Amino acid sequence: MSKPLESHWTAVVNGEQKHLEIAQTTRLVDVLRTHLQLTGTKVSCEVGRCGACMVLMDGEPVNSCLIMAYQCEGSDIMTIEGLQGDEKGTLHPIQQAFVEEGGFQCGYCTPGMVISTKALLDAHPEPSQEQIETGLCGNLCRCTGYGGIIRAVRKAGERCATKETSAQETVS
Amino acid sequence: MLLNRKQSGKRWHLRPDGAPKVTGQLQYLTDMTLPDMIHGRVLRSEYPYARILSIDTSEAEALEGVYAVLTSKDVPGLNRFGIATPDQPVFCEDIVRYVGDAIVAVAADSPERAALALDAIRVEYEEFTPLNSTDAALAPGAPELHEHGPGNVLHRTEIKRGDAEQAFATCDHIVTETYYTPRQMHAYMETEGGLFVPDEEGRLNVFAATQHGYKDRMQLARIIGCPEEDIRVVSSPIGGSFGGKDELNVQPYGALLALRCGRPVKMHNSRKESVRAGLKRHPMKIEMQTGMSREGIIQAHRVRITADTGAYATLGAPVLNFCTEHCLGPYAIPNVDVEGVSVYTNNGLSGEFRGFGGNQAIFAMEGQMDRLAAIMNMDPWEFRRRNMREKNDPGPLNQRILVTDGLSQVWEALDRSELWQKHQSSPADPTLPPWIKRGVGAAIAMHGAGLGYGIPDPAGGRLSLNNEGKIEVAFSYEEFGQGLVATLEIMLCDLFQCSTSDLSIIIGDTDRVPHSGSSTASRSTTMAWMALQRLQIPFRSRVLDVASEMSGVPADELVTGPGGIWRKGQLPAETSEVETDVQGTGKSEKEVTLALEGVKQTSAIGNESDQTAESYLGLSQHLVKESVSSGFVVSYAELATQGEADEWIFDTKFDYPTTPDNVVGGHYLYTYAAVAAEVEVNTLTGETKLLDTRHVVAAGPVINPMGYIGQIEGGSVMALGFTLTEDAVMQDSRYVTTNLDTYMIPTIQDIHTNLEVEAIEDLPEGDAFGPRGIGEIGSVALAPAITAAIHQATGVWVNRLPVPREQLVRPLNVPLQEGVSPS
Ligand code: FES
Ligand code: FES
Repeated sequence: MSKPLESHWTAVVNGEQKHLEIAQTTRLVDVLRTHLQLTGTKVSCEVGRCGACMVLMDGEPVNSCLIMAYQCEGSDIMTIEGLQGDEKGTLHPIQQAFVEEGGFQCGYCTPGMVISTKALLDAHPEPSQEQIETGLCGNLCRCTGYGGIIRAVRKAGERCATKETSAQETVS
Repeated sequence: MLLNRKQSGKRWHLRPDGAPKVTGQLQYLTDMTLPDMIHGRVLRSEYPYARILSIDTSEAEALEGVYAVLTSKDVPGLNRFGIATPDQPVFCEDIVRYVGDAIVAVAADSPERAALALDAIRVEYEEFTPLNSTDAALAPGAPELHEHGPGNVLHRTEIKRGDAEQAFATCDHIVTETYYTPRQMHAYMETEGGLFVPDEEGRLNVFAATQHGYKDRMQLARIIGCPEEDIRVVSSPIGGSFGGKDELNVQPYGALLALRCGRPVKMHNSRKESVRAGLKRHPMKIEMQTGMSREGIIQAHRVRITADTGAYATLGAPVLNFCTEHCLGPYAIPNVDVEGVSVYTNNGLSGEFRGFGGNQAIFAMEGQMDRLAAIMNMDPWEFRRRNMREKNDPGPLNQRILVTDGLSQVWEALDRSELWQKHQSSPADPTLPPWIKRGVGAAIAMHGAGLGYGIPDPAGGRLSLNNEGKIEVAFSYEEFGQGLVATLEIMLCDLFQCSTSDLSIIIGDTDRVPHSGSSTASRSTTMAWMALQRLQIPFRSRVLDVASEMSGVPADELVTGPGGIWRKGQLPAETSEVETDVQGTGKSEKEVTLALEGVKQTSAIGNESDQTAESYLGLSQHLVKESVSSGFVVSYAELATQGEADEWIFDTKFDYPTTPDNVVGGHYLYTYAAVAAEVEVNTLTGETKLLDTRHVVAAGPVINPMGYIGQIEGGSVMALGFTLTEDAVMQDSRYVTTNLDTYMIPTIQDIHTNLEVEAIEDLPEGDAFGPRGIGEIGSVALAPAITAAIHQATGVWVNRLPVPREQLVRPLNVPLQEGVSPS
């Protein structure tokens, strides 16, 4: 069997420069889960429907099962492992809100949900119900019925908003 | 009590697995890897029904990087599995009966190479016409899919009481209807898979999801032909199951490949393979004829159930039993004639699924109730009350059941609800265009818990003080997301007034837990509660006696508390509650921060369970014991140093409570639920949107409010899918909907954002069974409530799920208001 074509791939993953020798047709989800052992990004449908594999690519939410290595060459990728609070090792307000409001059960959809929520709140710090629905309709959850997730997103929104206001106050 | 976070106050308990889940640090069994592992894949049948003429694996075996190619000849023990009836081949020898049937398994050094190896295998078949419906399978002369016939019948059920024939003759009104329900898919987000690791001592370690590790171990030992003790099954955490992972799935292949190759084998099904091979909910056809007197009292009920059980038995028979029991609803009916049949076909595999046959039965029976009430021109809720069983009446199978007020309580609570009141006078909304119709419907259910009479349903558990001074409980239950570990924490803190950091909770590992039954049939909470009731007495008395010996304080002046033993009356104020409160008030940042530090990446297999346990226990609590106040007598750690370790271990074994009457499958404990639903139907598109629901549930005390709400909300949305969109469509016994892009589970845009849960917590005085499980009850009664609402909105009686949109479309007769254009 001939060896698959290998080539050099670089990107910034969770703030760290990564260099890998991989086929450029490798899916991003496999780069993350297999080559970088970042298994927080989940795999479930592999056709871009469920959102379990959601990551941020240059700040935009993408389904990592649909992105090939060559398509994210040189990009800035953030996975669930890269999200945290202001201090290292603490929970980001979104993660905190998911824990407090019961925004997960089995937790398998959760990393993707949290990433999509991050993208949502970055774009709409105080999202309307409609914006929440649009922002998260690409993420399926079979356990929670979404009730806890919606409550978590609202709470995270409030928290992020207050934080931003107080940050602005400190600045001014 | 309306159940929400505010009402729950101090009982709002954060899950110990929260931080690891929201950070992505929790390793699921399908996330595990080992440096020298190889990858397993299964070749499945090309046809739904065929004879295998030959299998040629030589080319695959010759491929570089392929370590093993296994067929039926390579199964050392029994080439069959199945929880109840082991009739599913690990590898087919001659006949294939569905598209998920396994023929060959391979292991190779990469997933790609394993796929190449599958491609290189040549199987020759003689193709047969599949039995693609129960009608085809029951037709005279149909080929028999299994030797144990007769015909293609897996199981028959029957309930006969009184003389239905005669009673129908005297009835004033009879409603006859046939109901159809879909092949619903579990659609757990984590597909099946895991890691299979042979170790130096010759034992096989299985890290793969199941709802009952011991049952998997038993079946795997039978397949491998080894003693059960040679296998360790680690089976939590799980990314969802809902009944779908109760049967073996990838385990036989992973296990056989790992043993053959002598190295770790990883398996992880793609979604497509999961759909193809996995269980679904039984599609059913339920014919019902119900007759009543002029006064609207039901006199006779005739039911014929036909369930499509697919290629192999799995739990088809118990599911049919359950459906049969539940198709009488919670009603007193003097003349009953019910027959059920579960039929083998070549249509996939039907098996266990949340609700267990109750969903189909309740949809049909409640549909009858609404149609009968309409004939009487009577309020459908009032019609139900008139026909409801009395508190002391026997259960549906004429068996004795535990007497509770649950049924009348849920009836009354729903009757009072604002949502149901809308039904009386659904105000026309003038802002809506005329093709948008609204309606409200309701349904009621009693749902059995536990496996039922005559089916072994063992329970038990272990409580000990381990040598680290933790109060340790061990059960053979699994955490598949339902929040079992959080519930156990709450129970133990309630029981011993201790803090969560005093606890060690062990589940999901056959090497570390006693055999205490499965996490199925809404039973874990009840079983754990009953076990702890039994175990706490000997445990507490030993703990207090030893503390008394050590301190000289009489045992009856001592109590258990945070960190250890305290003098009575001197426990730090409301310790466990205060602690929970701290976590629940949003002041918890520090707590969770600390929690995160406890999370570790699991890398070494040997420590996997320890670390999982570590991340479960003590994650959400960090009671800093300030300088021990004067009431503190002795710590658990000090106690644990006294005497022999096994003196601190207490075990119990018992069975899930069943009715004393000899009726197979009959339940003793029931939970009750009433559901109201408001819908909006667009009669131009046939689309139904659920606007508002209220679930009233009578299941005893709420132990874990967050978990309770989550289970009802999750069950409700799953039932919404069952009602409106979900159907694993088959054509000629092949799946047409092979992934989540065509199989439509509800998204956040499809759900009812107004969902209220009301919990009725009463139990009879001195009740010995404690809180009842609520894993299924949220999913069983929504469908008929929605279809009743659709009827109120449109006048259409729906008898088929998912609701066919074309039935609700009325393009030609929409009277347009002036100035309104149909857009
Ligand atoms: S796995 Fe990528 S969207 Fe489902
Ligand atoms: S929590 Fe299980 S899928 Fe969302």
